[in-house]
Amino acid sequence: MKPSIGFPATLFYFTDAPFWQAFWENIGFNVVYSSATNKKILDEGIKVTVTDACVPIKVYHGHVIALKDKVDYLFIPRYMNLEKKETFCPKFLGLPDMVRASIPGIPKIIAPDIQLVNPLSRLRLCKELAEKTGASFARVAHALAKAGRVQKQYIKLLQQGYLPQVAMKLVKSGRTAGSPVKEGDLNIAVLGYPYQIHDAHISVNLLEQLKQLGVNIWTMEMVSQTMLRPYRKVMSKNHFWHFSNRVMWSLFYFLNKGGLDGVIHVTAFACGPDAMVDKFMELELKQRKIPFMPITVDEHSGEAGVRTRLEAFVDMIRHRRQLE
Amino acid sequence: MKISFPHMGTSHIAFKHLIEHLGHEVVPPPAPTSRTLDLGVKYAPEFACVPLKMLLGTYLEVLEKGADTIITSGGVGPCRAGLYPHLHQKILKDLGYDCKIIIFDPPLHNLKDFFSKINYIIKKGGKSWRQFWKEFKTSWLKLCVLDDVEILSHQVRPYELKKGSTTKVFKECLHIVDQAQTREEILDAKRICEKKLKEVPQDPSRNPLKIGIIGEIYVVLEPFMNMDVEITLEEMGVITHRSIYLTQWSRQNIIVNTEGSIYKTAYPYLKKKIGGHGINSIGETILYARNGFDGVIQVAPFTCIPEIVAKSILPEVSKDLNIPVLSLTIDEQTAKAGVQTRLEAFVDLLEQKRLHGGLNYARVSGH
Amino acid sequence: MQGFLGIDVGSVSTNLVIIDENINVLENLYLRTKGQPIKVLQEGLQLLKEQMSPQLKIMGVGTTGSGRVLSGAIVGADVVKNEITAHAIAASTMVPGVQTILEIGGQDSKIIILRDGIVTDFAMNTVCAAGTGSFLDQQADRLHIDISEFGTLALRATNPVRIAGRCTVFAESDMIHKQQTGHNTEDIIAGLCEALVRNYLNNVGKGKEILPPIVFQGGVAANAGIKWAFEKQLGFEVQVPKYFDVMGAIGAAILARNHYRENGGSKFKGFEISTSDFSATSFECDGCANLCEIINIYQDGNIIARWGGRCGKWDHGIQ
Repeated sequence: MKPSIGFPATLFYFTDAPFWQAFWENIGFNVVYSSATNKKILDEGIKVTVTDACVPIKVYHGHVIALKDKVDYLFIPRYMNLEKKETFCPKFLGLPDMVRASIPGIPKIIAPDIQLVNPLSRLRLCKELAEKTGASFARVAHALAKAGRVQKQYIKLLQQGYLPQVAMKLVKSGRTAGSPVKEGDLNIAVLGYPYQIHDAHISVNLLEQLKQLGVNIWTMEMVSQTMLRPYRKVMSKNHFWHFSNRVMWSLFYFLNKGGLDGVIHVTAFACGPDAMVDKFMELELKQRKIPFMPITVDEHSGEAGVRTRLEAFVDMIRHRRQLE
Repeated sequence: MKISFPHMGTSHIAFKHLIEHLGHEVVPPPAPTSRTLDLGVKYAPEFACVPLKMLLGTYLEVLEKGADTIITSGGVGPCRAGLYPHLHQKILKDLGYDCKIIIFDPPLHNLKDFFSKINYIIKKGGKSWRQFWKEFKTSWLKLCVLDDVEILSHQVRPYELKKGSTTKVFKECLHIVDQAQTREEILDAKRICEKKLKEVPQDPSRNPLKIGIIGEIYVVLEPFMNMDVEITLEEMGVITHRSIYLTQWSRQNIIVNTEGSIYKTAYPYLKKKIGGHGINSIGETILYARNGFDGVIQVAPFTCIPEIVAKSILPEVSKDLNIPVLSLTIDEQTAKAGVQTRLEAFVDLLEQKRLHGGLNYARVSGH
Repeated sequence: MQGFLGIDVGSVSTNLVIIDENINVLENLYLRTKGQPIKVLQEGLQLLKEQMSPQLKIMGVGTTGSGRVLSGAIVGADVVKNEITAHAIAASTMVPGVQTILEIGGQDSKIIILRDGIVTDFAMNTVCAAGTGSFLDQQADRLHIDISEFGTLALRATNPVRIAGRCTVFAESDMIHKQQTGHNTEDIIAGLCEALVRNYLNNVGKGKEILPPIVFQGGVAANAGIKWAFEKQLGFEVQVPKYFDVMGAIGAAILARNHYRENGGSKFKGFEISTSDFSATSFECDGCANLCEIINIYQDGNIIARWGGRCGKWDHGIQ
């Protein structure tokens, strides 16, 4: 029987799951995902993490607990840098170590360093994966290349405007599709980290709620690398963190593109980088006089509370428009 | 230019020396008080760590006093502190202050930028690079002497016969060092201070507990922030040791030799640098355990990312090496009374542990 | 007969006990501090003097709680000890072999882990009231139910509801929501008890090795609903000692007794101080920019204690 490898369905799941799934399957592993975040996962995560950790880290621990007795291996990639002069939040850098110290009785963790700044670092990743999985170097390289092609398709679908869950299904079925239609009368950029925005439990169904309110949603996944390029030097200093930069650069892209009615920043309670990102965003939008609303989600957010805020925000924008 | 800079421990005395000797007027940063903190909290993001809030408060206070330029350090991440000056600049601008913030990133990160900024400051003060180098060396000496005197005070205080006598002498010492202007005067000051501190009446027969202090640099170095954790413990008759000093890389430290060794020591528990002093907190705890310390206290700002990672891993270290660790999380809500109670209870715990040695109990306590 | 006085001055309650040399509790008082620690302490001493047997002679005094320094200065304490140590001493004396102490008071809560009678780990609640008695007080208020009925009502629940919320404000909105969806009061109260225990275990109890025997003390231990919720969530029996609400004071008294055995003599000023005129004044020291608030305690016009400065300039003036 094929060995199974557990992949917690959070954090990098929304950006990179198709890539890793293709990779593991190509070297003969069976990928097992945890279910979408739910109350139990969240509760279990809260129990084993320190109080002041952010919600995403608590959630991640919950996913690991949900998987730990079902798989032979756990895949906890240590995302370090995908580009020069960039890294990830310290909690991502220490993620495998935190999980190991906090959760007793876990299966073997495969935690490769994900560093893709130059060809040499890619080779190093191949080598590390080969060592850790027992597959040959050539097979790993081949699997990575194949995974890269799957990921390309996936990213293209995201840019077309499909949400991750839908795009993953489309990738799997191999069908191509036209872009989804945007029929709302308001255009709102919903910015924040993929693992907040696209996790319906954490974001308390925020995207769906906005859609029902007649809003066209713009997220950072819809902006390609090429489109971002001009905005990479706009800030006096870029952030250190991969996702935070993409959030800020996408903001500048959308602002420059025009036609934006408002910006919603979805941020997690006690998120370190977001304490910075949110303030930068607030000051920028204040200067440009564009409606801005931060929504902080935590383990106690209720759908009703978020709904009230979204409705009020949308009403305010519509009202403003009437006055103009 | 009327220049100011952050307040951190005793370092402002040396920075003041440098800036003044470069021909600028200095607006010395006041020691942080609750007013400083209130000011910072008012305008800083809620989930920023308390150093960001405190620095913002300090800047607002020195701007009130007429400073027009602030010199501060940057950073290359992933700890948030590297972005603070940029955020401070934006917040201050939003509040209507038009001040210049000169940010020094680590020189190796961008040499050209580093030197052009120094050049700017030198030329504005009408000095030459040669004069700068001379003054820099003198100021560095002053910084080293300040740290030397402080280290000695930590060694004397646990043995003092009269509570508070060391602190009183230490305050005088800071004034003496502050007054010294030339290399010779600074070295004289050092000798005088060392003599004064050694003359504090002591009881050498005590056998104090030893506690290592680890954590985030700003709250470790700024007594107002850590509720005087070192003095409080030392006045309870406990020896404290910390490895974070601004001049640490130039001194031979008995506990921690080099940064490199810290990373190697921490490796079984934390395999990568995570910014700030996160990995140091793990590595130093291990070294304190190996060097016969009775316990370790981690002081960290609330929401400090690297220290949260460290805090998650410390229970494992504590259990494996049988060394109790108390984590104190500091923010604007922290009350001195609460810290005092935790410290007293922790010291009681360590005393009991020493009396009943060999039992295998050691966990992380507190929050 | 020899007696030892223990005093625990907290923000919510001021407790006084007298024990004999064999640690039998002779007298105990639980009073509300009401923001007037000195006055309540004096009243308490007066009450004790009236209640206690005239043969009893106080040989030692210990103080604990957040007001331990203040009360220590006023009565002339032989031992001034933090409340973690005091609670641990009391519990391990009353329940030999205890390994876990759960303590929930009005505005604070703590957990103490002991092994072989020695404290090996502890934690106190951090910033908010989650997991403390005031959480229940506030919710009882909203429900217009007397807090003393809370326990009995909770035990009558058939299907406790899940109340979300780390702090009282969030919990309140969730509670109102649950009321609107037709849950009965008993189930909601049981749900609140479970929420408090969950918050407690996730905050102070986090990462602690909770092993039996478990003792539950502090004012909230009177609430049978909380005891039930602890037992349900921990899966162990939880004992509530007879003097659960004055354990800190008992610990202080035991420490005073031990101090007397080792050193003899006492600094106790006697019950007469209940008629002395104590006052506290404070001033802002302008010696430096810290502008510390310095507190002076006077007895009949003479200064007897002073503290509050960060620099120690004022702390050491009076011995």
